[in-house]
Amino acid sequence: MGVGPWRVLVEGVGSRVWRRWGAVAVVAVFLPPLALLVSGSLHRPGLPPPTTPDLVPAPVSVEGYRLAAELGGLVRATVNSLLVCAVAVPLSVVVASMAGFAMARLPQRVAGWVAALSLVALMVPAVALLVPRFAVFRVAGLTDTLVPLVAPALIAGSPLFPLVYYLAFRAVPGELWEACAMEDLSPLRTWWRVGMPLVRPATAGTAALTFVLTWSNFLDPLVFLYDRDLFTLPLALRSLAALDAADFPVFLAGAVVATVPALVVFVVAQRELKGVSR
Amino acid sequence: MRARALAVAAALVVAGCAGGEDGSATSLLVFGDPHELAAYRSLEAAYEQAHPGADLRLVEASDRKDLIARLSTSIAGGKPPDLFLMNYRFYGQFAAKDAIEPAGPMLTASKTLKADDFYPQALEAFQVRGEQMCMPQNISSLVVYYNKDLFKKYGVAEPRPGWSWDDMVATAIALTRDANGDVVKGVDTDQPGAAPTGPPPAEYGLGVSPELVRLAPFVWSNGGKLFDDDHSPARLALDEPAVEALQDFIDLRGLHGAVPTDQEVESQDDEARFAAGKLGMLMSSRRSTTTFRAVSGFDWDVAALPVHRTPATVLHSDAYCVTRGSSDKAAAWKFVEFALGPEGAKIMAGTGRTVPSNKAVAQSPAFLDPAAKPRSAQVFLDSIPSIRATPTISTWPEIEDVANGILENALYYNKPTAEVVRELDEQTRPLFERASK
Repeated sequence: MGVGPWRVLVEGVGSRVWRRWGAVAVVAVFLPPLALLVSGSLHRPGLPPPTTPDLVPAPVSVEGYRLAAELGGLVRATVNSLLVCAVAVPLSVVVASMAGFAMARLPQRVAGWVAALSLVALMVPAVALLVPRFAVFRVAGLTDTLVPLVAPALIAGSPLFPLVYYLAFRAVPGELWEACAMEDLSPLRTWWRVGMPLVRPATAGTAALTFVLTWSNFLDPLVFLYDRDLFTLPLALRSLAALDAADFPVFLAGAVVATVPALVVFVVAQRELKGVSR
Repeated sequence: MRARALAVAAALVVAGCAGGEDGSATSLLVFGDPHELAAYRSLEAAYEQAHPGADLRLVEASDRKDLIARLSTSIAGGKPPDLFLMNYRFYGQFAAKDAIEPAGPMLTASKTLKADDFYPQALEAFQVRGEQMCMPQNISSLVVYYNKDLFKKYGVAEPRPGWSWDDMVATAIALTRDANGDVVKGVDTDQPGAAPTGPPPAEYGLGVSPELVRLAPFVWSNGGKLFDDDHSPARLALDEPAVEALQDFIDLRGLHGAVPTDQEVESQDDEARFAAGKLGMLMSSRRSTTTFRAVSGFDWDVAALPVHRTPATVLHSDAYCVTRGSSDKAAAWKFVEFALGPEGAKIMAGTGRTVPSNKAVAQSPAFLDPAAKPRSAQVFLDSIPSIRATPTISTWPEIEDVANGILENALYYNKPTAEVVRELDEQTRPLFERASK
């Protein structure tokens, strides 16, 4: 079957145009809230909130950021959140990729069962496990520490991530693994030296998702942390949300601080994804 | 190699954070915005200074939902805080779960606190079958905040003590003005068949949330009943005078157009509207005081609620509860004695947010400070004899949620009262049935 002119149009010039307009449409949806967020955070706190959004604050004030740091303990909370992410994200990526790699090397039938079990585990609501988890960490004497926030990384954070790696490693031709075995590469070296460089998009995606899930985790710190010196950013943000309406710039300043790292991570992850597909 | 480095890092985090775990401190779970929490921190500091060796640890939640999530999980998980602060409308579920150590015996044995030190209306709200469960920290009630400058600008008489509901409606109508300052009726253009008769109001006369606790005082004031039985309620069953009060409440929007529409409240809540100087009157509890103290644009004061037949208002009160699972109940009670005694009560009164439950402190300048707004703070104390409380039911928070949704529709969409009464009964009955007896 020949390639029709329409197809050429769509795949050639057309696809570029479509892609550009698609990007514009996405930006048009997501940019205004961000712009309002930033402009709102630069208003002067203590004034009644405007009923219609005004994009250019007059006068521009960073008082909101100062108060957010002072009232919400935002600096300490950011450090705590970064600490948790710095440990939890790499740890869960390592665990997820190892598990996914192992699954890909299992016989098809067994791997199928493991995948099915993972899907079942995925359906268990996190809230249902909250009280048992609290009891476990209480017995271990680990409540009111950051450990319960990091611990899920030891099982990859979510059953979803090993599955992502499983699919990525399964797409690699089996001959490659056989070749590695012939070269006497240990499974660990095969995973690290050969496997991981081949699945960089999966790593970028998993890392970005794990980061966002860990960074925005509200329920776990709410239940496990008592000491305000250990509070993470979502808890600090929540306390700023309780401020009076007139202090909305303070809350929005906190929201900017919480949003920026997530944006940075997505930009980096996207470059990683693009770099591979080129 | 890298994996090993990570393991080391994880171990360091464990070691670094495990220090916070000790059983000696008394933990107190509270919620509030950052300013309110700062007040609790100064209470903590004053307590530790007054009692060398005592160690109080605040566990801070930002709102009631967060506090309940923390509290429920830690009780279920076997390690509750020693103390928590909770509104009487929300503590029923914990009393029902037997998670609270009754305060009664500790109060009887106390050398520093006596039941007579407190307003009985606040104490009674925290009693289950005659037993004192928790110790009330404050006794606030619903009052009318009003913008004195708007009253002066339009030559409207300020609320007098004992003013009637009709006086209040007339005042609200007279304060609902368009941008030119002319009296106008607010029309909700989203209603079918509604056509504006003039420019939209720039200022509204009154703000009141369509909530069960806001409606209740007017039902009571009209001699009505909300429940089939006030002592052991099994249903929301509004009687004739209650339906009258409900109709008057709904008319505020549908007939008089003197309260903001649904959309207007969504875009700017009543408290923010009042703070912006665009609301003549606002029905709220003592909580709003700190917000309005920060307002500099106009003068304001408080007045008692308007009356249908007899004065009535609704209690807002929080109490310190010692948990059943506390490892050191004596230490927890020692803090309660401090916090509710003259010294602690003065610190909390200083925030302006609460009406002290301690009679002596409430009647002292710590609360009735003539230099601080509202000048008529005495209104809060004068309302106390007519205060009534909602019943203690373990499912009360859910009952309120459901009822508030129905009342919201009723006010903003002018629902017939018969339908509202039927919906209130039908939709809350399963919640009453589920309540533990």
